[in-house]
Amino acid sequence: MSNISALATLSKRRFALSAHTPREIIVPLLTPILFALVIAPALRDSFGGFHSTIDYLSFVALGTVGLLVPLSMMFAGLGVIVDRENGAQRELLAAPIPRRLLVLGNLGVALTVAGLQLAALFVAALLRGAEFHGGASGIAWFAGAVLLFSVGTYGMAETLASRVHSAEEYVGAVPAIAIVPWFFAGALFPISVMPGALAAIAKVFPLTHALALMRYGLVDPNGTGLHDIWNMSNTTLEAVLSLTVVAVFAALLTRVAVRAFTRSAVH
Amino acid sequence: MHIQPDIPDITASHVAPAIEVSGLRKTYPGGVEAVKGVDFSVTQGEAFGLLGPNGAGKSTTIGMLTTTIVPTGGTARVAGFDVATAALAARRVSSVVFQESVLDRGLTGRSNLQIHGRLWGVDNATARERISELVETIGLAEIVDRKVSSYSGGQRRRLEIARALVSQPRVLFLDEPTVGLDPRIRFELLEVIARLRDRADTTILLTTHYLDEAERLCDRVAIMHDGLIVALDTPAALLAALGREIVELRIDGPAEVALAALRSRAIAGDDAFIVGSTLTVPLHDHSSVDAISVIHGLRLPIAAMSTRQPTLDDVYLQLTGDSIAVAA
Repeated sequence: MSNISALATLSKRRFALSAHTPREIIVPLLTPILFALVIAPALRDSFGGFHSTIDYLSFVALGTVGLLVPLSMMFAGLGVIVDRENGAQRELLAAPIPRRLLVLGNLGVALTVAGLQLAALFVAALLRGAEFHGGASGIAWFAGAVLLFSVGTYGMAETLASRVHSAEEYVGAVPAIAIVPWFFAGALFPISVMPGALAAIAKVFPLTHALALMRYGLVDPNGTGLHDIWNMSNTTLEAVLSLTVVAVFAALLTRVAVRAFTRSAVH
Repeated sequence: MHIQPDIPDITASHVAPAIEVSGLRKTYPGGVEAVKGVDFSVTQGEAFGLLGPNGAGKSTTIGMLTTTIVPTGGTARVAGFDVATAALAARRVSSVVFQESVLDRGLTGRSNLQIHGRLWGVDNATARERISELVETIGLAEIVDRKVSSYSGGQRRRLEIARALVSQPRVLFLDEPTVGLDPRIRFELLEVIARLRDRADTTILLTTHYLDEAERLCDRVAIMHDGLIVALDTPAALLAALGREIVELRIDGPAEVALAALRSRAIAGDDAFIVGSTLTVPLHDHSSVDAISVIHGLRLPIAAMSTRQPTLDDVYLQLTGDSIAVAA
């Protein structure tokens, strides 16, 4: 059996198990969408925004992607624990397929579900008045950033799921992994308004780089967020550097996830 | 003392063994030695049993053969494929039914079967045909399109057996297939497994701590204790080694004194053994009537006495001083 065929089977299985009801797609979407629809317009109307060239509603709509993706990926990671505790994980481990495909199959479905959620978020934000612009290259920067960040975050989720002993332990760790970086990463405000020490911490998080890239692609052609991170004059170079950070994050965490899964599943 | 028995050379035939295990051992992190070096060989089409209590090393052995546990020493081959260096090939020719239920409960029974077929490379048309046959044979036709979460324990276990057969494995591993099931379902499952055993193209390796299962289903049995194989032969040969009958005495007082007395009268041999206050005496050269007569003459402090046929539990007790039923 080819690896592609096996991957398709595993992805189909995971999709049938994890995303067979609207609830499983909609629940992770609620918090980010409420940010985009309720809090962002309220903040803009109350304080008038902070950038003359960037619409605050659009700024926050992209910032909420930084909350939506980690929540969605962490929800997907729960499936690994369910598989292990009450599902067919051992049967899959006994199947004549490379075991890394089990991780990649789950990843594919997590990305698909997150993609659907992002589409819903964008539709809601547009209906509320957000404005996104950017040509093919802008969309490419956005897509590259969101895809790589999602891959890396799923790697974290899968690694955590492989390391913890129970779903309760996993759920307890979700806020620290999925939400804490969001407060630092400039989701609701530029990192330049934070004290220097906090801004320095923010630059370490891949999410900060991913959000700056997403905004560079769709709402901030001047790359203000990228300048806040790199303080260079060449915006394209800054974008490449940030994309490299997110790509390294994705590659590293995927590798760690495969290793953690294999080590935990095969004794 | 644990004795690694001489293992009959069943590989002498010109047919390559379905399973070959040599010096296989597993030490878990922390130093727990679950399997301490076992050797056995299973011929194609044979039903082979690993018998022993929980913790004897049976499931760890199956785990190593199915490549879900990494051996720390020795070698094992499944249908000629080394489980360490050709793990994918070894998995391709085998299927396993695990001790615990390992099913996607959110999917239908049919989906569970189809996924196995696809992952084992069975083409869709063949898989459809096999699934139809299997669910009829195994009595799941009416519920196969229901979600597994609605199945009873017995139905789940039957589904798992059907799933393992979708790929028509050359080697089928059954790890405690009837544990935890009620007697009626257990009986039904034993019927299913007995029918499988009659298929010459499938080799079965079964672990169990139920003696009757081993006697009924297995061509040969390896008794495991504390990570070692302490006996390996056909059930009949293992039982024959304990003679035609057994006298069991419950002694009020030191059983060792009673045993010495019986040995002095040549009633008890070297294979008589004591567990607690019970003295078990295999009879080789005497009838039970003669033995009882001699025992009465010795005026031993006997609380109860009975005679019966030997069982595999006696074989296990004699080898290890521990009852499978108690240890399990």
